[in-house]
Amino acid sequence: MTKMILSLLTALMVVCAPALAAQEQGDRDGPLRIEITEGVIEPLPYAVPDLVAETAQASEYAANIARVIASDLSGTGLFREIPQNAHISRVTNFSSPVQFADWRAVNAQALITGGVSVDDAGRLVVRFRLFDVFAGQELGEGLQLVGTTTSWRRIAHKMADQVYSRLTGEAPYFDSRVVFVSETGPKDARQKRIGVMDYDGAGATYLTDASSIVLAPRFSPGGDRILFTSYESGFPKIYVMDVASATRQELQTQQGTMSFAPRFSPDGRTIVYSLSTGGNTDLYSMDIATGQSRRLTSAPSIETAPSFSPDGQQIVFESDRSGSPQLYIMPAQGGEAQRISFGQGRYGTPVWSPRGDLVAFTKQSKGRFHIGVMRTDGREERLLTASFLDEGPTWSPNGRVIMFTRETQGETGQAGLYSVDITGRNLRQVPTQTGASDPSWSPLLN
Amino acid sequence: MNTGQLISGLAHVGLIGVAVFGGAFRAEPLPFEVTEVTAISAEEYAALIAQPEPDALATIATPEPPDAGETAVETPVEDAAPSAGQSALPELAPPDNAPEPVSEPAPPQPPEDVAVLVPDRAEEATPQPAPRVAPEAVAQPEPDVEIDDVDRQASEADATAETPAPDEPETAREAASTRIVTEAERAEAAAPTQSVRPKPRPSAQPPVEAETPSETETAETSPATDSVDAALAEALGGATEPAGGQETRAAQGPPLTAGEKDGLRIAVQECWNVGALSSDALSTTVVVAVSLGEDGRPMANTIEMIDATGGTTASARQAFEAARRAIIRCGARGYDLPVEKYASWRDIEMTFNPERMRIK
Repeated sequence: MTKMILSLLTALMVVCAPALAAQEQGDRDGPLRIEITEGVIEPLPYAVPDLVAETAQASEYAANIARVIASDLSGTGLFREIPQNAHISRVTNFSSPVQFADWRAVNAQALITGGVSVDDAGRLVVRFRLFDVFAGQELGEGLQLVGTTTSWRRIAHKMADQVYSRLTGEAPYFDSRVVFVSETGPKDARQKRIGVMDYDGAGATYLTDASSIVLAPRFSPGGDRILFTSYESGFPKIYVMDVASATRQELQTQQGTMSFAPRFSPDGRTIVYSLSTGGNTDLYSMDIATGQSRRLTSAPSIETAPSFSPDGQQIVFESDRSGSPQLYIMPAQGGEAQRISFGQGRYGTPVWSPRGDLVAFTKQSKGRFHIGVMRTDGREERLLTASFLDEGPTWSPNGRVIMFTRETQGETGQAGLYSVDITGRNLRQVPTQTGASDPSWSPLLN
Repeated sequence: MNTGQLISGLAHVGLIGVAVFGGAFRAEPLPFEVTEVTAISAEEYAALIAQPEPDALATIATPEPPDAGETAVETPVEDAAPSAGQSALPELAPPDNAPEPVSEPAPPQPPEDVAVLVPDRAEEATPQPAPRVAPEAVAQPEPDVEIDDVDRQASEADATAETPAPDEPETAREAASTRIVTEAERAEAAAPTQSVRPKPRPSAQPPVEAETPSETETAETSPATDSVDAALAEALGGATEPAGGQETRAAQGPPLTAGEKDGLRIAVQECWNVGALSSDALSTTVVVAVSLGEDGRPMANTIEMIDATGGTTASARQAFEAARRAIIRCGARGYDLPVEKYASWRDIEMTFNPERMRIK
């Protein structure tokens, strides 16, 4: 018996020893393997020297376009510009080879070079390239954009969009607009107008006068129309406006009722809104072409602030049917609703992310207002902001940034627009000429 | 008797033997104490118990009253610290010419720049807000210290060296937090708003040798059509041979220790910046192969992605480019690896797994 056991052990060692030796030898002969699981999260340094003005008429755009690109990229909080006065190399010719060593010396990890000219037809022609400095390679293909000289800001936004997408992998969003309510005057006699501006606050124009109160403008999926609520008739009513012509039309709802909080469906053919009658507020949908309305909820509680999912199949909305305002999701055609918010406090103004994975909302808790996000099933709630009054979130076209209204405390308190990354970083105020509230982000422009 | 009975019998005998001789049935001795005694004589005992005569105390010199200044400052009484104006030895009459007792100085106040407030809820240390999120917090450098990827002491010209080392400014890594702190998570009024700035961390990187050309010098000597490949090839040209030749020349030392591997891993992760990556790219793990020269510098043209999992082709490209930047940037001065083990680290496969970076 003992001999048998010893024989077995010996045989096992004879079999395993070569395998172990081979493994050890393999470890020594093969490449060294390490796993990196921890990194850093910090803005990526980049350089964008002034574009090369290739014609005399283009000189005024060379620096301006570079500044808008830098503002776009640095404004995301994901990038950090290397100041131009730190540049060692000067780009004097768009086609000249890049001195990568000079850019590495100033720790620029990405480099954007470009040239601008005005052709014989008076059009602005912009060419640009993006480089990975440390790899010494061009990233992607160079691009050329052509437009009118008055559209130089849009051209700059489009260039920044290309750079942003190439470096981050995210969809672009700089070439987009925001419709908002412009607010002037004291709090007790505030005048409100609907305005439209670039996402960064530039180029604001106004679509209505201050003769009546206007609320909650919302862009259509194509960006060519705007829904809003107006007190022009004394009651809140929903209007749809063509952005290009600024003509508007009232959407007919039941007589003697109040309709508000409208929002387009993803295909732009239907709107969903709140209608208040007899002291009760419920959700309705309307086919814009036919004017046919359909009741979606019929509860004694208040249902409002509806927002479609990106596929148009579901609606997230606010209801106090449980005793306090909470968030619910139901089919777009109406039906049983499922509650998704369960935290302490009051939830409102939900908006479905363009990516479909998150819902942004306003939360009031312990005397403070927050903008937050949660999964569509209510998991992973995260509060991104906290202040005296934050409300009304709207998503950037790529679902990476949220813009919202922040109002300061006191009689002289003023409403303004702010943006924040969905990670909770990079909280910034959007510059506006006047007080501003109720932002709604357009889709990416064509 | 079969084998089973034999084994059973031996086991039982062994067990009984262990129980008997191993002390299993032995009771623990009761605790006892040993006291050493000494026999003394009756005379010695009488001398021990004899009381001293009262006049013996008179021969003890009366201590001189302490100086007034010492009385006020020193507080030998443990139970009650003397209050202002109170003497430390009140039973002794102060000498006639003693000055008036000096008030005890007030306890030193904490300096103004020391944070003394404590948040109400201190269950978790709130990380210092910083634009940089890193696996380990980095202290805020002094204001006049240049931000760089590594800590480095300011160099001074060495007159004895053949080639004086170029003066390099002192640098320190940028302050970093360990996680993202949103506005909603920031501590409110009770939290301290200022604290003493810690000194920069001691240098973790040896100073650059005088013979080693700096990044700028390398750049200046590069041709006009410079690229990372050309620059690194030029920099490595004189020091190393092609991979085939290195194999025969490289020392066949022992494999890297765990500490040396960790050092390399930490060096690379300091430059692995995932802050600008999309959520898709942050779900993509890439395996990157790279070859290093004997001076520890990566050869840019050898960096390639050999595997990617968990994402799309586009996200793999973003993840690879971030990994490539990390390898080149932090290896620009050469990774700190033992040259006698060059054969062990010449070819490296680095797996960049961003799973833990998604929630930061």
